Amino acid sequence: MRFEAPVEREAAERAWTIVRAAYAEREPVTWPRRHARPLMVAAVLVAVVAAALSPPGRSVVHSLRKAVGVKEAEPALFSLPARGQLLVTSRSGLWLVRADGSKRRLGRYRDAGFSPHGLYVAATRANQLVALDPKGDVRWTLARPAPRFPAWAGTRTDTRIAYLSGGRLRIVAGDGTGDHAVGAVALVPPAWQPGPRRVLAYMSTPRSVTVLDVDRGAVVRRMASGERVRKLAWSTDGRLLLVFTPHATRVYDSRGRAVAQDDPSDATFDRDAAFVGRSHEVAAIRASGTSSNVFSISGGRLYFRGTGVLSQLVWSPDGRWLLVTWPTADQWVFIQSEGRRRIVGASRISAQFGMSSRVAGWCCAG
Amino acid sequence: MAGSGRDERAWVRRAQAGSASDFEALFRAHWGPAYRAAYLVVRDAAAAEDIAQEAFLAAVRALDRFDRRRPFGPWLHRIVVNRAIDWARARALRPEAEQVDAPAPERSEHDDELLRELGRLSPEHRAVIVLRYLLDYTPGEIAELLELPRGTVNSRLRRGLDALKERLR
Repeated sequence: MRFEAPVEREAAERAWTIVRAAYAEREPVTWPRRHARPLMVAAVLVAVVAAALSPPGRSVVHSLRKAVGVKEAEPALFSLPARGQLLVTSRSGLWLVRADGSKRRLGRYRDAGFSPHGLYVAATRANQLVALDPKGDVRWTLARPAPRFPAWAGTRTDTRIAYLSGGRLRIVAGDGTGDHAVGAVALVPPAWQPGPRRVLAYMSTPRSVTVLDVDRGAVVRRMASGERVRKLAWSTDGRLLLVFTPHATRVYDSRGRAVAQDDPSDATFDRDAAFVGRSHEVAAIRASGTSSNVFSISGGRLYFRGTGVLSQLVWSPDGRWLLVTWPTADQWVFIQSEGRRRIVGASRISAQFGMSSRVAGWCCAG
Repeated sequence: MAGSGRDERAWVRRAQAGSASDFEALFRAHWGPAYRAAYLVVRDAAAAEDIAQEAFLAAVRALDRFDRRRPFGPWLHRIVVNRAIDWARARALRPEAEQVDAPAPERSEHDDELLRELGRLSPEHRAVIVLRYLLDYTPGEIAELLELPRGTVNSRLRRGLDALKERLR
């Protein structure tokens, strides 16, 4: 079929004016920058292998991590740049970090999440769901097979914890009573919708998002994903739901319509995505070859660029600081996203928290 | 018309290095198919222009990260068609009483009828027919572009064509 759409040529000229301006504003990547990163990462990988094989290699790893990471980074995490406290899981256990930088190891737990006001922590270990206070004292336990991903929500007087166990989504009251199974679930952390109603988004299969009104026991909405979903997250006002996959991230409104999307090109993929502070904008970590960029998927704003793997995006409770975890450099990088742009780096993360650390939450209480 | 694979890789390479003329060549080669594909799915010239333009802006943002070994067209068309489907679905949920559109170029009566009937298919059926018969993608390529099982693409093609044939009788 030979076909020309209406006003095709006029539309082309109008679009070209805008696209050309966007092209003129971009900063091309020069040859040395394009090729320096692969060499740097190759060196890091060689050094990591060397470290595994011989103790003297460890000093080489440290030197290279310093070369890759933020130059002015602090030698340790001395303090957080914003109010609140961090929960960190790692192979050594669960850690609570206060704004002044003090750290407390709460015990050997696998996953964790803050209570709604940060006064307690829900955590999991081999066959137990556990509620802890910030000192690490156990308030109650519930024996369930291999529980995962506790998510705690509600008001000061009435809360619920959603978690996964035995291939089922389960919900228990904040005092440990009334535990019950809801339905089949895929291994992805569930996400409570912020707001007065108890509404939960979870993956009923690896590619099927279910939004459930827990009090009514009614499915509000189901949405299909083209690939396995890795993360669900609500905007802070509860109006938008982020469904993250490495190759096709979508943002849905309250009627289940996709209002934003991110489709990385064939040779790239996203490692994480999150709503920007309290806005409806989404930032993503895009892995491309040997480098990673943190950018806004709608505006294209570049927040940060680094060599190697950037792993996680976590926003401070006030929405002003973005924490980017950077395993290649063994650093955390805090980026001020509003007002004057500031970057604060903290080094030697694995020495402070143990290997394979992940931020499980940055919450409210000081 | 899109350039050959070799032309296209050269345009992408030189555009990445900052050559505005090569970026323009890339734009000129792909604007028509992208805009037409969007138009055939959404049936609204202004929306099609926005969708195709947004896809090119996404291409500008991703240019440095784009792998030159891969063809540019399929990546662009995937963005265009997915966004067009989303737009058409949203439009279907809030239908407007009257749709005023730009005047169409002259076409034969048969083409007009075909396009009108194409517009009555669901966005999902329209998208696979546009990709198959306007942009010449194979069913396997459409399956990859839209992240659908190949059987789904084939059944949508068959049902879409059957519906068109029935309505054009």
